Amino acid sequence: MSLLPRTKLFIFLLLLAGCNAPSKPTTAVNYDLNFASTSGGTLINAMTGEPSGLISMIASESASSAISSNIFNTLLKYDKNLELEGDLVESWQISADQKTVRFKLKPNLKWADNHSLTSADVLFTWQAVIDEKTASPYASDFQLVKKAEAPDALSFVVTYDQAYAPALDSWAGLQILPKHMLENQDLHTTAFARKPIGSNFYQLDKWAHGEHLKLSKNPNSALGQAKIDHLITRIIPDNSAQFLELMADNIDLMGLDPIKFSRIIPARPELQKKLALYKELGNSYTYMGFNLKHKPFDDVRVRHAINYAIDKQEIIDGVYLGLGINIASPYKPGTRWSNPDLTPYPYNPDKARALLKEAGFTDSNGDGILERDGKAFSFEIITNQNKEREKSAVLIQRRLKEVGIDVRIRAIEWASFISRFIKTGDFDVVILGWGLGLDPDQYNIWHSSQQAPGQFNFIGYNNPKVDQLLEQGRLELDADKRQEIYHAFAKTLLEDSPIIYLSAGYGLTAIHKRVKGIDNPAPPAGIGHNAEEWYIPQPLRRNEISHH
Amino acid sequence: MNLGTLKKSLSNPLAFAGFNIIIIIFLLSMLAPLIAPYDPNFINVKAILLPPSAAHWMGTDGLGRDVLSRMLHGGRISLLVGLVAVGISTAIGIILGSLAGFYRGWVDTVIMRLVDIMLSIPSFFLILAVIAFLTPSIINIMIVIGLTSWMGVTRLVRAEFLSLSEREFVTASRTLGAKNSRLIFTHLLPNSLTPIIVSAVLGVAGAVLLESGLSFLGLGVQAPQASWGNILTDGKEYIQFAWWLSLFPGLAILMTVLGYNLLGEGLRDALDPRSQHK
Repeated sequence: MSLLPRTKLFIFLLLLAGCNAPSKPTTAVNYDLNFASTSGGTLINAMTGEPSGLISMIASESASSAISSNIFNTLLKYDKNLELEGDLVESWQISADQKTVRFKLKPNLKWADNHSLTSADVLFTWQAVIDEKTASPYASDFQLVKKAEAPDALSFVVTYDQAYAPALDSWAGLQILPKHMLENQDLHTTAFARKPIGSNFYQLDKWAHGEHLKLSKNPNSALGQAKIDHLITRIIPDNSAQFLELMADNIDLMGLDPIKFSRIIPARPELQKKLALYKELGNSYTYMGFNLKHKPFDDVRVRHAINYAIDKQEIIDGVYLGLGINIASPYKPGTRWSNPDLTPYPYNPDKARALLKEAGFTDSNGDGILERDGKAFSFEIITNQNKEREKSAVLIQRRLKEVGIDVRIRAIEWASFISRFIKTGDFDVVILGWGLGLDPDQYNIWHSSQQAPGQFNFIGYNNPKVDQLLEQGRLELDADKRQEIYHAFAKTLLEDSPIIYLSAGYGLTAIHKRVKGIDNPAPPAGIGHNAEEWYIPQPLRRNEISHH
Repeated sequence: MNLGTLKKSLSNPLAFAGFNIIIIIFLLSMLAPLIAPYDPNFINVKAILLPPSAAHWMGTDGLGRDVLSRMLHGGRISLLVGLVAVGISTAIGIILGSLAGFYRGWVDTVIMRLVDIMLSIPSFFLILAVIAFLTPSIINIMIVIGLTSWMGVTRLVRAEFLSLSEREFVTASRTLGAKNSRLIFTHLLPNSLTPIIVSAVLGVAGAVLLESGLSFLGLGVQAPQASWGNILTDGKEYIQFAWWLSLFPGLAILMTVLGYNLLGEGLRDALDPRSQHK
């Protein structure tokens, strides 16, 4: 009777001690030394969601393209300075009338299964992406191709009805699929989506569902060999669990939130010793989008009022710890497409109140919440389970309450968020992010024709002027004139305020110092542009047997 | 139950401790608006994740809100959910249990099979499934927890009714021509109260735990409202650095559950002659 509690206490103390002890004895490895570039090793990273499949033209989530871009090639790609260069093609020519592009493939290209990769595969991929049955969200770019031909095995020629400015950019985004594997198959049901054959540096080795995807070097790679032998992407839905794994040395690379980046890692010398931090500007921005088909968000005064009522600087300071910037156009700040004359809506609650009053909202029953036609102004913000977005929502909720709008917040798991709310249009207001593309064309997001379920204009934005500018921008190949068009587009968008720009956060990444060859500071294209040249020197590799 | 039995059960030191814990937590939560040093939803982006100090006894969270104030206000939610949910489940349990135990026959069979069915479904997952369909809110949480945890009480009440029905005073009353309602409300039910109270007290502990679990998973009380469960969730991201965000709500949940369990056990010991301690 007297012994028992003591034993328990003892065990408890042992457990505590076990928690505090370092998981591995710290060896005297100095990760800061220089090592020669060698092949081999394994890079382990993690993602929060599992891809639905690896055919990126139908799986629009980033988890899918993050993996598939290592497996498939595109015709063109961007170099470190964001200039186009050939990926599968050796060269390309644009005809004098700007309507025809002639691509010349590199010779002797092979798929991972040793089949030849020819222009027939490119033609097949184009046919697949424009096929209505495919219902690809990227289809509209390629539907503009009037005629596509493969006159010989290395030539692929596309002709547009009219000059199409984003054409080259679109071909830099379309992953080429193998015709011999996919002919006469339904892309939505094919087993290929989970057992792909590609042409890029890596091929899928193993997909342990719910656990990890393992990629290994593709011996037939179209562009030579990558340095690192294996890429393992573990599926760890929880960010804090990912971070524990990063600290325990079980993953090498992880995107960080601002608190980890600027508070936690700098405060811990043992983490600083083994983790290198990278910061790159504006790969995406966070916005609050209105469902414009729902009242009262169809009223521009209401949208303006909400825009004035939200303190964006507070969100940047409070949620992103200052690691973000306030934007006024949907383009990477500092690039030519971003209109320098536009300024974000300032925080001005009085103006917000005045606008709401003008729109017919008054607090008739004195409960602090505005009403119109007897109905309280109350709505729900939905977002996915992302800490920054949830926190932003809480800050917005407080500010809107101050002007008399009642806001509820709901954070929903990603898959049901997309299928249950976004695709069905069953929401009032969302907080989400858009990636900042390299081409200024944003037809997919803003054109009124892009509102079908699964397409990107799910907020239902419909402005003939914007439609016209977007169409015009696609026809204009002169960069200066094009810039004018997109500056005008951004101006109208800001005036219309179908979304509220909350912040363009920095991309923050921690990578284990065992991984070498990473450009720092990041070039315009970001640190990932030369991932195939990253290497892990032999002495710094982890014990490969104990992992997977 | 009367003051005497309460006194008797409180003579058990553990039950007394449990009782005190609950009273303290109750008082703190009820007085939250008076004693909380800050508005629980007051955001201060200049004071993010501060460790406990004189200004913030339990530190601040990821939005610079005072954790102590959120704990006190969150306690109201947690306790309210516990009490209301148990109220609902106990009411359902009493009604169904009385029906089954009094009328027997097919009524009993139907109700008891229903109990079996409900018990065969893991209740946490049932709750998760239901909440996923409804909008998560305090009211829904209370109702759903109440609607999925009445089975134990039903069985208890039924068993009490079955055994009491055979007792002489009930037979006597029935022979004298008492109506069913009189039998149920003046004889059977009052004599079954003891196990009901014990099970309700223990049930509160379970409901508090369930609510915390749901809020922890993001399916419970929604932002910005604080509950112990969602303070705990906010903390899990930074558990190694901002320990105060996990420790205090964790302790509060632990103490509450412990308090109710100790009190429940104490009551059972005091009220049930068969489990008398030496």
